[in-house]
Amino acid sequence: MTQEIKVNEAVEVSNSTDVVLRLAGESGEGVVSLGDLTVQMLVQMGLDIYTFQTFPAEIKGGTVMYQIRATESTTLSHGDAVDVFVALNRDGFSLFGDSLRENGILVYDSDVFTPDSDAGRTEYALPISTLALNEKQAVRSRVSPEQLKRLPPPKNIVGLGALLRLVNAPLEPAEQYVKDLFARKGDAIVEMNISALHSGARHISEQIESTGKRAPKVTPRFDMPKRLTLNGNQMLAMGAISAGCRFYSGYPITPATEIMEFLAKELPRFGGSAVQAEDEISALGMCLGSSYAGVKTMTASSGPGISLMVEMINLAGQSELPVVIVDVQRGGASTGMPTKTSQGDLNLALYGVHNESPRIVIAPTSVTDCFWTAVDAFNLAEAYQCPVILLSDQALATRKSTIEHPDLTQLEIIERLKPEAEDILKNGYLRFLDTPSGISPMSIPGMPGAQYVNTGIEHDEAGDPGYTPELATVSKEKRFRKLETCRIEQGSKFVRYFVGRDEAMIESIQDTDVGVIAFGSTEGVIREASQRAINEGFSVAHMHVRLLNPLPIAQIEQFASKCKTVLIPELNFSGQFANWLRVNTEIEFETHHKDEGLPFIPNEIYQKITSLAVS
Amino acid sequence: MAQAAEIVQVFQPKDYKSDLKPIWCAGCGDFGVLNALYKAMAACNLDPNNTVVVSGIGCSSRLPGFVSTYGFHGVHGRALPIATGIKLARPELNVIVVGGDGDGYSIGAGHLPHCARRNPDITYLIMNNNVYGLTKGQVSPTSTIPLISLQSKQDPKRWKTTPYGSTEDPIDPIVQAIAHDISFVARGFSYKPNQLADLLTQGIRHKGFALIDAFSPCPTFNQDQTDEFYKERTYDVPLDHDPTNKLKAFELALSDEGFPIGLIYKKERKVSVQDELAFLRESAVPQSLDQMFAHFMS
Repeated sequence: MTQEIKVNEAVEVSNSTDVVLRLAGESGEGVVSLGDLTVQMLVQMGLDIYTFQTFPAEIKGGTVMYQIRATESTTLSHGDAVDVFVALNRDGFSLFGDSLRENGILVYDSDVFTPDSDAGRTEYALPISTLALNEKQAVRSRVSPEQLKRLPPPKNIVGLGALLRLVNAPLEPAEQYVKDLFARKGDAIVEMNISALHSGARHISEQIESTGKRAPKVTPRFDMPKRLTLNGNQMLAMGAISAGCRFYSGYPITPATEIMEFLAKELPRFGGSAVQAEDEISALGMCLGSSYAGVKTMTASSGPGISLMVEMINLAGQSELPVVIVDVQRGGASTGMPTKTSQGDLNLALYGVHNESPRIVIAPTSVTDCFWTAVDAFNLAEAYQCPVILLSDQALATRKSTIEHPDLTQLEIIERLKPEAEDILKNGYLRFLDTPSGISPMSIPGMPGAQYVNTGIEHDEAGDPGYTPELATVSKEKRFRKLETCRIEQGSKFVRYFVGRDEAMIESIQDTDVGVIAFGSTEGVIREASQRAINEGFSVAHMHVRLLNPLPIAQIEQFASKCKTVLIPELNFSGQFANWLRVNTEIEFETHHKDEGLPFIPNEIYQKITSLAVS
Repeated sequence: MAQAAEIVQVFQPKDYKSDLKPIWCAGCGDFGVLNALYKAMAACNLDPNNTVVVSGIGCSSRLPGFVSTYGFHGVHGRALPIATGIKLARPELNVIVVGGDGDGYSIGAGHLPHCARRNPDITYLIMNNNVYGLTKGQVSPTSTIPLISLQSKQDPKRWKTTPYGSTEDPIDPIVQAIAHDISFVARGFSYKPNQLADLLTQGIRHKGFALIDAFSPCPTFNQDQTDEFYKERTYDVPLDHDPTNKLKAFELALSDEGFPIGLIYKKERKVSVQDELAFLRESAVPQSLDQMFAHFMS
């Protein structure tokens, strides 16, 4: 009984909401819809959401897991231990149950299985199918036989009612939601669902009364202004449209397809088009053609597709064509683990090329940042006339987050440098004019007198082929000079510093014990972990790098010089970012890298930080 | 001044010549094809400023450098996707794709049926010399000496990469093109330049994807399919041939009497991707960025 008291104490100590829910079960059996419903309810209660989903690769079958963390302030990660685990089948629990906190609560579908008992945790049986079927039976006289046949028992709503009661949340927002959702299906269906909601809640209430154990309380905040709830893929697609992307071509691949689905629907409304290509080579080929013709363009894929695009990326680098290539990284080599996450394509993004041609590599750090990084990607591609590879990942792409509407007045759009008609008339036109910045005015078809051949062959300023040693040297230096220009102009804009959760100025970071340098989707989890360490008296700072090539070397070395120990955590097998830092900088550091298909959790980074601080 | 009529510039074939001299061997069939192309562009009065010639890699793919229009010399086998992208981005541009048989029928073959499905308004000119010339004499997908079997002890054509004979049947580009339902399929011959210019003119004017396969013999690496070989085996498509009849087109293409030169298959009123996408854009209800975000607000 001592554990029971601990749980209750925890609830009382914590005034603000911070609860981690995890749902697992057979794919296609309602886990995702129950998760989505729960997210909607929590959002309506004014809470901040951060989800993590992991799917089986099968179309139907296999185990799907949906984790939701709801907090009162900004949620930075999907959390550590799970407070409430909802297991819709035995496999779901055995695969994903180990993260349930020792004194956590397990709700299981008692129509499907009974878990082996465990002394520490509290178990609530919820016969979801039976309860849902009862609700359906109750309205059978009020609907037509036809409708009855097609009416699914309201299992998700029963589950939702149980979950809400378990976290001591009010049912009213859910009632209203159910009314709106089923209004067009008639009173009987609305009433069935409301009754189902209460049935799930009641079933849990009865058990809570006997055990006295409840999960951390969810406190609604109804005064919240409206916010956006969406995932990284959606936010990235919206960033692309906002940046002026008007042509997209891609080939379906997990977990990037959603970007194309979004753009195929939205682009025509903005005067643009999307085309599904026959393969990734063709997809990027169409994009290069479109960019050459003067239209901003993007493709998105994942590792296997990016591998196919490598030759085209090189062509874009060599012939100085702006284009944005999104790599939503997934787990494993070759086919690997398509539905899992990784940061394993950094090497591919940096080095995936025969010989050498310039490209820019950037990585978004959060769902909000997916928007701004997409905008940045287009601006950098246009400004420096080269391919920009944007490294997202599965966890970020499918992560639902509540975020503020991006401030569109901050939207700054850069267009490529174009030749002036007068200049062409007076001086003729050289497409690859050697300039101090390396950037040459780029004509587009239709401009009189500015014709040129865009080519991957080594070429002179006019674009005419040439193989002399002098030309080979001068041309390559010219193209790579753009990256140096980019490093100087952009380096400081693409790094962020944090002390704990909060963004900080570099000047405020002094004599720090542990400095964390990382990239990509790990920003939130590192902020949360370092805040925890700081709360316990450790000295920690954090630098997140959004521009990976050209690397902001000066900024990285400056930050590292203020830290006794530097930690480089990343989600890949060999420590690709650490190796990239070894190539480019003089700094020394400790590494933490692994490639299991799952994102970091705060505790893991916290442990690493604190072990380095004391050693 | 107010009455001044709009002056329409008239282009001559020479207006399409660039300052670069072709890198081709003396006697290369591609010279004839290039001249036919200059003539066809003049016949269609294409403005060089509004025309893009796209190619892949190979001897013939160097052609964009020899014309005064805009050009895109891409990577091996990928000219069609690049050209499609240009046309979809800027439907008002004239887009002509050129390349060889290796580029179009081997490494790039996967794009052909899909370009046929999309039917963009572009013209694809293939200079077919039945050999890999730039890499100096290897078997190509149209290398045409048929092989029954290595075991038959016949004297097979020995290419450099198939020193004991090729074990693969050649592709018939015309039969394949009809099967893909490419909306304009013609065959030309570089030694019949006026006829080829006429076919190219028709192809450029055709609204949709036009494929013109032109025999363009390689005097350096192919001593079998020479200009003489084709002069003996080509004949004009009969005047009574109905190119809109798909079965008759197959019949003509499959005939073993030699190689018919002319328009072999044509499909009118086939939907074209750039028109479909333009329709989508024009019929969509315009949306602001704020409206797009509003779908996700709660």
